[in-house]
Amino acid sequence: MTFLVSIDKFDGPLDLMLHLIKEKELDLFDLNMDILVDQYVEYLNNMDRFHLEIASEYLAELAGLLEYKSKQLLPNSKDIEQEDDEDPKEKLVRRLIEYQKFKEISVILTQRFIDRNKQFAKTVSFEFNNADQENDLSELNGNPYDLMKAMNRCLRHVALNQPLQMRSTTSELTVEQVVNTIKDKFSNIKGSFSFIELLKNCYDINEAIITFLAVLELIKIQDVYYNIDENDEIWLKWSNVYE
Amino acid sequence: MNKEEIIAIIEGLMYIVGEEGVTKEQLSQLLELLPTEVQLYLDELQTRYASEEHGIEVVNYAEIYRFVTKTHIHEYAEKLFRMNHNNTLSTAAIETLAIIAYKQPITRVEIEEIRGVGCDIMLRKLQIRNLIKELGRSDAPGKPILYGVTADFLDVFKLVSLKELPELPNYDSLADSENLFD
Repeated sequence: MTFLVSIDKFDGPLDLMLHLIKEKELDLFDLNMDILVDQYVEYLNNMDRFHLEIASEYLAELAGLLEYKSKQLLPNSKDIEQEDDEDPKEKLVRRLIEYQKFKEISVILTQRFIDRNKQFAKTVSFEFNNADQENDLSELNGNPYDLMKAMNRCLRHVALNQPLQMRSTTSELTVEQVVNTIKDKFSNIKGSFSFIELLKNCYDINEAIITFLAVLELIKIQDVYYNIDENDEIWLKWSNVYE
Repeated sequence: MNKEEIIAIIEGLMYIVGEEGVTKEQLSQLLELLPTEVQLYLDELQTRYASEEHGIEVVNYAEIYRFVTKTHIHEYAEKLFRMNHNNTLSTAAIETLAIIAYKQPITRVEIEEIRGVGCDIMLRKLQIRNLIKELGRSDAPGKPILYGVTADFLDVFKLVSLKELPELPNYDSLADSENLFD
């Protein structure tokens, strides 16, 4: 019985091919395409037999490999080949080598990433107070992806504010309650205020998310305009300020 | 102000700014010193904290200086606190980032050509995590978006600048082929 590695282990057809080359001890620079193609086909067949889903990328490469193999079988195939085309074998080898380079670099980068995650900094020691910063209306627009990016930043902020011991709390806040709280506390601000400001006393991820939902609600009913600056700060401004 | 006083000020400021960090240019402006001078003091501070008697070090990622705990403190911190390990990047994400970092500005199709898989969603995820950004559009048909890495990318991989990236391996000569999979 042969040991079967799940296809999920591979990051695509090139990754699988590199694995097969290594396993069969093939020479990448003098690649025996017949063996590679057979192995690749066998691998996908096995996957198929176990009713595992095969991503379309694997099948696309399979088509290329089979085309190459069938051309080899045709007599005088050289005559039909277009001269200006790069030899498919050379092209595949070039791609495999290129991909292998980045795989190696990724190993180095992964280690650096792991090390970096073990280095901790503390949060900034004071709160910036930019609440009354003046923005004009023309700047107040952003796209949803900016909003997601900015929210990520806020969640990081909340995570850092959080005491390291674990607590469990049941949150009974509703979006409407938070919408009302925001309206109560911040309605007198004429200029822009930042989303971080709303999270000032928030040490809980649920509360942060509900606050974010509340802001989305306010944006939806057009009570506030929003803008995201280059530092991923979400700036909000009451729409009635312009009336 | 003498040298020790200046270093003390830089040390204090760096403590206050925490994870936000401080740049050489900011320090040079507020201390009214030449950037080259500030560099000397920063280097000095960095050297002092590098010695083993300190559990904190001064790092420079993406030209931002900040205090961080040394990596070996981590295992003890884990005994003290329950730590969240939700800050991860998949192999596929790191590969994609590597390709962008070495080849930028690069289009999605060019990245997919190297990886052999579609990366539409991956690029979006990396953009949301602020590890890559759009660098305008290529002149190729359809004007595809060009991608490049951000300062946050440099930070998560402990790099001062892109110049610090390790050199891409070179297998273009046959002589190296035997070492390829070592």
